[in-house]
Amino acid sequence: MTRKLFLTLLALTVALALGTTAALAATSGSTGDPGVTSSTILLGGTAPLTGSQSGYAAVARGAKAYFDYVDSRGGVNGRRIDYTVLDDLSDPTQTAQLTKRLVEKDGVFAVFNTFGTDQNLAVRDYLNQKKVPQLFAASGATALGSDAAQYPYTIGLRPTFTAEAWVLGQYLARTQGAARVGVLYENSSAGQELLSGLRRGVLRSKVKLVSTQGYEVGATDVQAQVARLRVSGANVFAVLASPKQTAEALKYANRLGWKPKLTIGSSASSSATLVGSASEKGANRVVKGMVSIAYLKDPTDPRWTKDASMKLYRKVLARYAPGADPNDVYHVYGMAAAWTAVEAIRRAGSDLTRDRLVQIVGSLNLQGNPFLQPGISLRTGPGDHFPIDQMLLQRWQKNGWRSFGGLWAYRGG
Amino acid sequence: MADFMQQVVAGLASGSIYAALALALVLIHRATGVINFAQGEMATFSTYIAWTLTTNHGWAYWPAFAVTLGVSFLGGAAIHQTIIRPNEKGSLLRVVIVTIGLLILFNGLVTWIWGGEVRAVQSPFPAGTTEIAGVAITTADIGTIAVVVGTVAALWALFQYTKLGLAMRAAAVNPAEARLVGVRVTWMLSLGWGLAAVLGAVAGMLAAPSVFLDPNLMAALLIYAFAAAVLGGIDSPVGAVVGGLTLGVGLNLIGTYVDFVGADLRLPVALLVILVVLLVKPTGIFGKAEVRRV
Amino acid sequence: MTRARAFVPVLAFVVLAIVVAVVPAFVSAFRAQQFAYVAIYLIAIIGLNVLTGYTGQISLGHGAFMAIGGYTTAILMANHGVKDIWTIPLAGLVAGAAGFLFGIPALRLSGLYLALATFAIAVSMPAVIKRFEGFTGGGTGINLFGIPELTASLTPVSILGRELSFNDWLYYLCWSIALVGYVVAWLLLRGRAGRALRAVRDSETAAQSSGVSLPRYKTLAFGVSAAYAGVAGSLFAIATTYVNPDTFPVALSILLLVGVVVGGLGSLVGLIAGAIFIQFLPIWSQAVSKSPGAPSVVSGALLIALMFVLPMGVAGLVERLRLLTRRVYHRSSS
Repeated sequence: MTRKLFLTLLALTVALALGTTAALAATSGSTGDPGVTSSTILLGGTAPLTGSQSGYAAVARGAKAYFDYVDSRGGVNGRRIDYTVLDDLSDPTQTAQLTKRLVEKDGVFAVFNTFGTDQNLAVRDYLNQKKVPQLFAASGATALGSDAAQYPYTIGLRPTFTAEAWVLGQYLARTQGAARVGVLYENSSAGQELLSGLRRGVLRSKVKLVSTQGYEVGATDVQAQVARLRVSGANVFAVLASPKQTAEALKYANRLGWKPKLTIGSSASSSATLVGSASEKGANRVVKGMVSIAYLKDPTDPRWTKDASMKLYRKVLARYAPGADPNDVYHVYGMAAAWTAVEAIRRAGSDLTRDRLVQIVGSLNLQGNPFLQPGISLRTGPGDHFPIDQMLLQRWQKNGWRSFGGLWAYRGG
Repeated sequence: MADFMQQVVAGLASGSIYAALALALVLIHRATGVINFAQGEMATFSTYIAWTLTTNHGWAYWPAFAVTLGVSFLGGAAIHQTIIRPNEKGSLLRVVIVTIGLLILFNGLVTWIWGGEVRAVQSPFPAGTTEIAGVAITTADIGTIAVVVGTVAALWALFQYTKLGLAMRAAAVNPAEARLVGVRVTWMLSLGWGLAAVLGAVAGMLAAPSVFLDPNLMAALLIYAFAAAVLGGIDSPVGAVVGGLTLGVGLNLIGTYVDFVGADLRLPVALLVILVVLLVKPTGIFGKAEVRRV
Repeated sequence: MTRARAFVPVLAFVVLAIVVAVVPAFVSAFRAQQFAYVAIYLIAIIGLNVLTGYTGQISLGHGAFMAIGGYTTAILMANHGVKDIWTIPLAGLVAGAAGFLFGIPALRLSGLYLALATFAIAVSMPAVIKRFEGFTGGGTGINLFGIPELTASLTPVSILGRELSFNDWLYYLCWSIALVGYVVAWLLLRGRAGRALRAVRDSETAAQSSGVSLPRYKTLAFGVSAAYAGVAGSLFAIATTYVNPDTFPVALSILLLVGVVVGGLGSLVGLIAGAIFIQFLPIWSQAVSKSPGAPSVVSGALLIALMFVLPMGVAGLVERLRLLTRRVYHRSSS
């Protein structure tokens, strides 16, 4: 009895000291959902911290840095956010086992920002039946957000693979006349969805996909595929690949003397660091003028050098993830996801439960995420669990990306 | 036709890298009688040394190349002396497990020291391309093949024409008799491990500029090298080279011309072909049948 | 004398069975699940021991037979409405048949050539599973959590009047099968078949000239060990409640061989030690340091150190201890 009284008093003091609006917070320790106390919220997720996909670890690193920053300023509604990231080596079986551990042993309040398509699909049934929120799954697989009725606890964040490739296809259809496209894609569920999105985007236009070459995840090289694309007669090179294979393909295409009139890339293929090193200091004509997708503010875009939120981004990353490459746009992604989580948790108020949070993220209408391109809003509703469906295009200029044109929005079909 | 030749050229370039690593496996098998599962990861480690020298310390490629080979040689020999030799007594499986331990250890070390990011490695070869009848041959391809051929030739000369080479062969083939005629057998075997590490480093440094460097650079390559070495005959250096090149070209042609196979099944199909070859000739193309005394 | 000799292992086995039975009362449900995985690895290792320990053939491909078993179970449960426990023997049969068939061409190969052949199936299996998407669910895999065919996943199951949660049920299921599997292997190996297999390991030529049919026993060993792997794979699918092509990677095949050698090829205690080793090595290493790469450094170093200290594996240590106590006993009694 005295202990509960003490806890209540402690929570009250904390709440008052932080000037938040809530004596309500005092009773919140007893809401019953695991992972929430009056002073902490436990989030957990998996990411490939090591292994062949470890380039994507930045997604978790950026988010963690942002939570640490928020915690240093008093947290959300008086609660600190503890975010545990476990290494799944990009193996969905590991994701399944580690997620069970997060839920059953560590008692997380919600799973957040787990990376990968198959990885998120592997734990979706489990989390929904345990009624644990699967917050902002870091994948663009349409399946993750479109089955909202069946999986109310699962919610994505970024545009779907279909949407981003559709926009690229539309861009080709509107600007490139009768282009012949040669596609390099990763033979994974992500790569296949990108390919079908591109097909949909060029439907009923003069643009033709003349050759599509797949490579396996973890392939030693993609030279055979690029060599085939070169002789296929394609004059547009579409790279729907992961960062490493993208860089290799861009470099090798140039070495082979292939001169496509345009190169396009998916958002995964737009790591500025790797595209930059493939550009061979501007000598690579395949990279010059490459067009890709931008829904995040790219750190190499000169437009943001004086932008307050990108200055904050660099400061937070340097402080809480020392040594991390600030030009890696995946860190921006992580912060954008963390910002959205913080905002959703803030709106859920001090009476924080899993169901309340799921209700909030299921009916979002959020503007002004500082890490997204201006004008992009986060919207969800019944049957739509993908918050972001707007994006811009960006073009490679000298040693960085520069976004251009207006916002594109994916309209089904 | 241009398509076909293009695939052959690309296959020869990747095949020469398989060949170098396969040759490393063969050298160690001759010295120690096991497959060194850590060969690929040791090579990745060497490649990171070269990357640090060129990128962080501003060295030119070739001096860094030479120093890396030296370090790799000493490292390989030291691993044999300190870790492998004490475990050579008893079951062969014990050494196999030790090399698996080394594989895990080196893979972790690379990530621990240099991080998991993908790194760009500068190419030692100029960026030119020669085009012959529609087939593009890059200077890097020619350079890669030349360096591998040169290394193999040097190694072959060492084994055939020097006293040291003779001693090494004797130590590998018949350690007991070699010891009787005054060959320091364990040092010869360490030398074999050193040379194998050098070959691995060559493979890593040649592959990294085109496929970029990350901690898993050699993980998949080791599978190809193992297959190439067995295809050629696990004790035959010539077999390793032929096996590597055949596998490189074969993989590309299967992926290109057999529609059902495509990119995803080309490795399984290539392995199946190798198994069929082994069923016809159970000791590989250039291998000699072992005669065992009862 | 022979009766006394048989008495010790039987007693040890009974003690072990009792320990296994009471453990869940003292550990958390999550821990019980981890121990269930130990039993799963134990089953696979018992099988691999039949092959590698008794015939001396090295397999780097038993993960592939686990994959066959795991997918048999997953497909039967998710697409054909078969209750999980009935799929387990079927998974063993399918994988065993595959192993037997593979054993026929494998007869022509030995040593490293056989190692490559088995390695090849482990390497190829994920790509093959992915290709036959309509059948296997492709890269996305097959989910088993929450379907009615999975026992105890949503509501506790009642066994002998006790309510068991999913993790406890899993624990008892896996350990019961592991212990039965051990007894079966023990009965199989102590008789005529065991003698024949050992003869093959020690000298194929000698075994052949004393009338042991090489092809028959080698393929038999392959089939039996693959059947064990299939059962292990089936339980793995049930325990993870999910399979996809990466569930049974090449690394798993190598890990199983590590488990057999660390255990020391032979005794039950050794095999259990091997299974514990491969289940807990990554967990222990993570506990030492979490910075990227460091756990692998610890795991690798530990494995190498273990080979220095225990060249014959845990079984060798047990044997040495036994000799030591006997010597001490003899000295004190004389």
